[in-house]
Amino acid sequence: MNWKVVLLALLCLMILGVAPWVGGSLGQDHSGFILIQLRIPRVIMGGIVGATLGLTGAVYQALFDNPLATPSTVGTTAGAALGALAVLVLVPSGASALPLVSLAAFAGALAVTFTIAAIAASGRARINDVLLAGIAITLATGAITTGLQFQADMASTFEAVRWSLGQLTQVGYAGVRVLTPIALVCCCLLLWQTRALEAMLGGEERAHAQGVNIRRTRTLCLAVGAIGVGACVAWCGPIAFVGLIVPHLIRLSLGPTRRILFPMSALSGAAFLVLCDALGRWWMPHADLPVGVVTAGLGAPLLTWLVTRRRV
Amino acid sequence: MSTGIQLDNLCVSLGQREILTDVNFSIAPGECVALVGPNGAGKSTLIRAMLGLVKPSAGSVRWAGTGVRSMRGQDRAAAMAWLPQHGIISEAVPVLEFVKAARFRFSETRAKSLAAARSALVSVGADHMESQAVSTLSGGELQRVMVATLVAQDAQLFLLDEPANHLDPAQQTAFYGMLRRQREAGRGVLCITHDMNLLGHLAALAGQGSGPQSVRVIGLEEGHLRFDLPLDSAALTEALSSLFGLSLEAVTRGGRRYFLPGESP
Repeated sequence: MNWKVVLLALLCLMILGVAPWVGGSLGQDHSGFILIQLRIPRVIMGGIVGATLGLTGAVYQALFDNPLATPSTVGTTAGAALGALAVLVLVPSGASALPLVSLAAFAGALAVTFTIAAIAASGRARINDVLLAGIAITLATGAITTGLQFQADMASTFEAVRWSLGQLTQVGYAGVRVLTPIALVCCCLLLWQTRALEAMLGGEERAHAQGVNIRRTRTLCLAVGAIGVGACVAWCGPIAFVGLIVPHLIRLSLGPTRRILFPMSALSGAAFLVLCDALGRWWMPHADLPVGVVTAGLGAPLLTWLVTRRRV
Repeated sequence: MSTGIQLDNLCVSLGQREILTDVNFSIAPGECVALVGPNGAGKSTLIRAMLGLVKPSAGSVRWAGTGVRSMRGQDRAAAMAWLPQHGIISEAVPVLEFVKAARFRFSETRAKSLAAARSALVSVGADHMESQAVSTLSGGELQRVMVATLVAQDAQLFLLDEPANHLDPAQQTAFYGMLRRQREAGRGVLCITHDMNLLGHLAALAGQGSGPQSVRVIGLEEGHLRFDLPLDSAALTEALSSLFGLSLEAVTRGGRRYFLPGESP
């Protein structure tokens, strides 16, 4: 059991360490620039985003006691997409610089998730009703997004579609500098909830009887997850599947013990996203394939295979 | 200021329906109480109100003078531990981790929590299954592990909701033996049951306990408290008979009191 954890951790660290050197040739004279200004910040960004998505997914699954719960199902991603699209479509292009899009995406993610968190905090709703409300709001938000796209001209629709695929493209360290503290604080706060979430293994009411403040735990996990994921999505666009697949991969290989599941979901999330990005670079060196396409393309069959293999 | 738990004119309504009406009783530290009544009498709701899981529509539930819904979670968990009727754990967590989770109320190192969880498992005779997954346990094994979580939580009063319901006779006897040891350690017990013959086991607990000796039987029917009598009182046979709508006969064998259905009407 323990050697499996160590082995997986080493594998993840190895992927993170090797990734900057994967991809098109670094060239002769520009090698320093490509490696230091493009590849390394991109890998760091992928690591931060993957860790946040993986950990938040694992925490949400534990909180909702539901294997389908992810930041996407409680509306965080949909809210971010709506915010970003609103800026891309409504603000005349040229003015819609990247920081504005990011801010709007962040605001959208928070608005939707805090609505869900407020429902969860009322204490009256059962936790699965909260998840249903999240799915309903996700669908409604998606409908508004589609409506906006329908109204928009070709150029901004194209831009919006590009954004919604999820990209890790970085030049320099501006993004890393903004995102690292946010993600770090969010991940620490979520890991801090491990004991409360362990007590929830026997259901929320039993956890209450064991001394857990259910409303506070629900609100804190949802809100902190939304801030972390919202910040990631704001910068990189919605990256599909990481929050869903990574916790399941860890659960299936290392078991559901929270103390191992949470940190390993963060580490593996980082490695998984960086690996997907590196694979995309290696496969199509000049296309700059959006990493969201690779995570979905690689993750979906992998998860399907693992889940069905276990059932047989 | 009283110690233990005190219910004053407790009323609970769920939707339009009143589940509990003007329930009054108290449990002193170390006391053993059996809560009996037909299905749908409101027994489980009563326990949930004691834990602060449902809000009273009137009246109050207080532990040592403080309303249970305004207590800090950790303080409430130090007062009462709960064994719900349906314990479903879907995740394949190892038994030791599961029991360790019940140490939430303590601010302590992981090593200390694990040591406490281990000794809780030893006290219920389940230490050999510490690395087994909770989801693979049989009914009897799971109930043992559940009691270990209560022991690990180290609360003063155990609230048990039909704990022996799904156990076979040998497991039931073993289960009550386990409870007896907890009672000898000075813990209070409130046990819901509608199996009257299990009251005999509870009497055996009281005989050897160091706390207050008598077991009380509280009868609940349609949300009303019908009686609150010691197990050895002469009036109990009559009270139980009218509670369950059955004519019962008390039989004493080996120092234990059993209630058997008399002639059918």
